[in-house]
Amino acid sequence: MESLITAAARALEAGDPLGALNRVALRNDAPSLALRGIAMAQLGDLAKAKSLLRNAARAFGPREAVARARCVVAQAEIALVSRDLSWPDRTLAAARTTLEKHGDLANAAHARHIAARRLLLLGHIEEAESMLAGPGRFPLPPASQVVRELVLAGIAIRRLRSEDARAALARAARAARQAGIPALAAEVEGASRVLDTPTARLITRGEERPLLLAEVEQLATSEVLVVDTFHHSVRRRGTVVPLGTRPVLFALVRILAQAWPADVSRQTLIAGAFHARHLDESHRARLRVEIGRLRTKLKPLADVNATKQGFALAPRRTRDILVLARPVDEKHANVLALLSDGEPWSSSALALALGTSPRTVQRALDELARSNKVQCFGHGRARRWMTPPVPGFPTGLLLPTPLLKT
Amino acid sequence: MKRSAAEIIREYGPFEGVEAVHGVTYDGSHVWFASGDKLNAVDPDSGKVARSIDVAAHAGTAFDGRHLFQIAEDRIQKIDAASGKVLSTIPAPGGGGDSGLAWAEGSLWVGEYRERRIHQVDPESGKVLRTIESKRFVTGVTWVDGELWHGTWENEESDIRRIDPATGKVLEQLDLPAGTGVSGLESDGGDRFFCGGGTNGNVRAVRRPRRG
Repeated sequence: MESLITAAARALEAGDPLGALNRVALRNDAPSLALRGIAMAQLGDLAKAKSLLRNAARAFGPREAVARARCVVAQAEIALVSRDLSWPDRTLAAARTTLEKHGDLANAAHARHIAARRLLLLGHIEEAESMLAGPGRFPLPPASQVVRELVLAGIAIRRLRSEDARAALARAARAARQAGIPALAAEVEGASRVLDTPTARLITRGEERPLLLAEVEQLATSEVLVVDTFHHSVRRRGTVVPLGTRPVLFALVRILAQAWPADVSRQTLIAGAFHARHLDESHRARLRVEIGRLRTKLKPLADVNATKQGFALAPRRTRDILVLARPVDEKHANVLALLSDGEPWSSSALALALGTSPRTVQRALDELARSNKVQCFGHGRARRWMTPPVPGFPTGLLLPTPLLKT
Repeated sequence: MKRSAAEIIREYGPFEGVEAVHGVTYDGSHVWFASGDKLNAVDPDSGKVARSIDVAAHAGTAFDGRHLFQIAEDRIQKIDAASGKVLSTIPAPGGGGDSGLAWAEGSLWVGEYRERRIHQVDPESGKVLRTIESKRFVTGVTWVDGELWHGTWENEESDIRRIDPATGKVLEQLDLPAGTGVSGLESDGGDRFFCGGGTNGNVRAVRRPRRG
């Protein structure tokens, strides 16, 4: 429509943000602000990009609804990448509806992907999946296709479906080659490595070995009794006893399972489950109560037998018990798992993603910082936390260039 | 003011490698359109691209009988239609905010998109001779039989309108279907307008209302 805007938009699409900036750097009209914002985002200055896009959205008249909606989508993407998860998802949904209504299906799909990635990051897997399944199936541009497949792979990995994940990643790799964007191809490759790196640890009869995602998946159909520290549950095939809200019971069953077929002394159980150093009669009484509760819970899967010195598990209909644990058994492993995507997180975003209070997260971060496992920068509300990416942890999904045409 | 729905006679395209049409003109036998880094000549009968010139082409296109004029970034290039060589350039009046371009009566007429106005420009010096205010974002501009027409594209709505060159008053308006953009406009001197479809990469022929 406008000559210089067209020239700048073409430069941006060709992966030349500096060329785009050269053309619109001194202009403050709405489309120039939007292009400058996207160029700055591509150059990594997210703070500047955010304010430029905010101004652009404001500068577009109320009648330029589509242009405005595209700015909102770009802002949402920047928020996601900076792990600002409190960004209002309703604003993004409204922008998506506007784009859909005006036939800008490519950008509407892009908005959908951003929403799905946010949901995935927050652990709302079902919602992320239904977000992707939304209406408007049409041929996506290759770069957009890559993002979609990466989100699908992320969902499959979190559901322990390695074959689905592998297939999605293969499609992602194909689309990345088609898009010809090296950063996308690298992202797909990084995500693929997750499938060939141990994602869990198996502990049985006092021995340990690393497990690939596919092997973890096989456990779901095998006959063994699994004490699952990822989901805080005990299961055998389709029978699942969730203990997520009963940490003491889970701690007890885990200690018993790790020792199985041997028994565990009362003292060890009390120390491990109640974090008590000195034993007294009240602890013994409490242990009796908790074991009673555990017995009731585990009834379909196993029995808890009293022995001379303590207790032992006795599984039903299987001859094996194993414990499925995280690769590194670490205090605050959940915080580290999120930070390991290499992106800077705010403590409030971590709290949101973990579903705990900001105070709890803050305490965990302080503790981790003292042992140099995490680092922070910035002050006050702008403070961000990160760790150097640990190989083998799922990396965060992707920042594609916003598909914004003016 | 007369207002009616635009009658689309024919659609050309999509053309291979063309993402968007930025400007349109007509040289008497071919419809030329600007597609970013090329000017393409389409045979209006077959609908096929007969020829292309590699030249920066970001907005309006015009033809004066011998030369093509093409806006690129913030300047207007004068191109030899036969050789495809850029002969000279003048600054564009909107400094890059320019969109449509027409040639008539020895002047260039340049639409300035967001400023909602049309400049009459000396094709030799680039000097602005006068400026006509419009009511809507201006895309393509064309003159036919002494009538000044321009395309609009605002709020995802487009029309082709005839305005009074003295006052800018709208005299006649052809509304395009919702979701159809107009980028680039040219009359064939008869009863057809050619206009670019913007980001859908098509060129359309629209019937010009008969007088009388």
